Amino acid sequence: MADKILKKDKAAEALKELSKFRLFAPAKSDDVVLFRQIEDPAEACLDYANSTVPPKKVVFPQTETLFRFKLGNPELREKNVEEEGTTVIFGLRPCDARAMSIVDNLFSWDYEDPYYLKRRELTTLVGMACVTPPSVNCFCASVGGEPFGTENLDLLLVDMGEEYLVKVLTDKGGKLAETIGSFMENAPEGAAAKAEELAGAAREALSRSIDTSGIEAKLPALWDSPLWKEVSAACLGCGICTYLCPTCHCFDIQDEVEDAEGRRCRMWDSCMFREYTLHASGHNPRPTRKERTRNRISHKYSYFPGKFGVIACVGCGRCVNLCPVNIDILEILGKVVEA
Amino acid sequence: MVDQAKLREVAREVISREDVRLLIGYRPGTYGFRARPAFVESAEQVEELVFTPACVSNLASYLVLEEKPPLPRGAEPDNRKVAVMVKGCDSRALVQQMVEKAYERDHLVVLGIPCSGVVDMARVEARFPGVLSAGSIIREGDDFVLSFDGKTEKVPAAELLADKCKRCRYPTPLVSDIMLDDEVERFAEDDFSDIAELEGKSVEEKWAYWAEKFSRCIRCYSCRNVCPMCYCEDCILDRLKPVWMRRSVDISENTAFHISRAYHLAGRCIQCGECARVCPVDIPLMELNRKFYKDVEELYDYEPGLSTEATPLLSTFSVEDREDFIL
Repeated sequence: MADKILKKDKAAEALKELSKFRLFAPAKSDDVVLFRQIEDPAEACLDYANSTVPPKKVVFPQTETLFRFKLGNPELREKNVEEEGTTVIFGLRPCDARAMSIVDNLFSWDYEDPYYLKRRELTTLVGMACVTPPSVNCFCASVGGEPFGTENLDLLLVDMGEEYLVKVLTDKGGKLAETIGSFMENAPEGAAAKAEELAGAAREALSRSIDTSGIEAKLPALWDSPLWKEVSAACLGCGICTYLCPTCHCFDIQDEVEDAEGRRCRMWDSCMFREYTLHASGHNPRPTRKERTRNRISHKYSYFPGKFGVIACVGCGRCVNLCPVNIDILEILGKVVEA
Repeated sequence: MVDQAKLREVAREVISREDVRLLIGYRPGTYGFRARPAFVESAEQVEELVFTPACVSNLASYLVLEEKPPLPRGAEPDNRKVAVMVKGCDSRALVQQMVEKAYERDHLVVLGIPCSGVVDMARVEARFPGVLSAGSIIREGDDFVLSFDGKTEKVPAAELLADKCKRCRYPTPLVSDIMLDDEVERFAEDDFSDIAELEGKSVEEKWAYWAEKFSRCIRCYSCRNVCPMCYCEDCILDRLKPVWMRRSVDISENTAFHISRAYHLAGRCIQCGECARVCPVDIPLMELNRKFYKDVEELYDYEPGLSTEATPLLSTFSVEDREDFIL
């Protein structure tokens, strides 16, 4: 499908139309922008930098029921993700969309995760290009992304000032574009060229970068390096860097039981937590923040690329921006390169 | 403001002492105006140390954060002292930790920093967005002077000060071995007017207010981990047998978590405000803690973290204690 134009004053109507689906869009809660289910288009905040919590939570909820059970009843009532219906994530950043394609590797690897994959199948991703990098700590171009990246997106919107240029990237995106077709017009000649220009400027505007070549091979060799103690000394051991990472995907599975009924659910877990690797014996193979930090970096930049051929980091900068004590993954990687 | 050369000189002397293994201070951050904790183990490292109004972290938290994994056979624990830089508010955390017998006074070398206030980094970054190269913030009279990218901007201090500093009762550290500057006289009063609105709400309104805030919580536990008074070796949140608090993230468990934490901090929270500062989704946790603080002060005439001679509020009983609020 050819490029379209969605005038900004028609965006609310388009969102209204899309809200017949399960529609997620960035919205403000006080000053915090989060993706949440939108019923009224006025709630959406499309003029935003990036959401604090990545939209991964839509396809990989922080807590989800896998099935319910009852004592004495062998029948498990499995969650039917299909019932959630068609889902649209509107206005997500290209890095966050790309992150989902990276996480797909894990959930479709040795065991195909029906919950995650079904949700991915039901979800259409409508991206919002980064005309201005959302933060000074964005470095998507260093890890295979781009401010105007289209990977894994179905539609890409480019903010052209008064209007959005809408690029249709997949059949799924085409179908969604049809449902809001009446609010859009054909893009005039030259719009694509202007978008190209904006994309170039956005790439130029990225202020941070890292040369990742060689890091994958180097990390395992630095297992005993003193650098890990140095870079982890200030770590508080909280879950900000992992929970707010669009590619972190670790989870725990727990049974929640009350009286004779319960549910098995899975919830996000974080390798930065002490009990993440705590054995029943009391032994902890990652006893301090040093080993946990080493694992976080090594997993993203060595183990994951070793297994799946792609770095598990999209350079969104959240872990840098939101770390309470300014632990900076680019600084750590810089030390790895130098070591 | 603290003389940076003097600070480094003192730090060099302290870390050179044989009975000191570690000095915890501040150094410039990796971008923008940030400063971050510094862990100095040798005299060579003191050159990076600074103290500026960007030094927001409460370093007292690190005294109770360090893991103690089993030592290799035959190895002796390193029981030498830890030196730590503290502002007035932070020093109260040291006092309270000692009141609770987290460690002995002679475990520490306290470098006191009389403080006229630190910035709210969110305000700084909102005002000067997109600053990457290291910018500096210094205090000049009633202004903060910010230098970055070859520019200098003067901003009235009140516009960038952290809220806790605007009502700081104890700007000069209450415990210290070496004071790094002249005492700062109390420049503000705390009348708790910031929580008057919350106190005035009906129960239903309060629930609606907190339900919205707590529903954002992602249970990253940064509030717990940064808190200098949250240092249980085995937190009930991490317990799986029995499960005191479920890991599932919903309004019920989130509320249970935050209310439990607030209760556990009653008579213990020393108002450093770190929990609210680090919360990635801006839950105003200090409103809860300040309500408890105010109640404790009014009911028991008790402020935690003022004297190492004090006894912990909730583990003492006096026949004089008020009980008219007990149902």
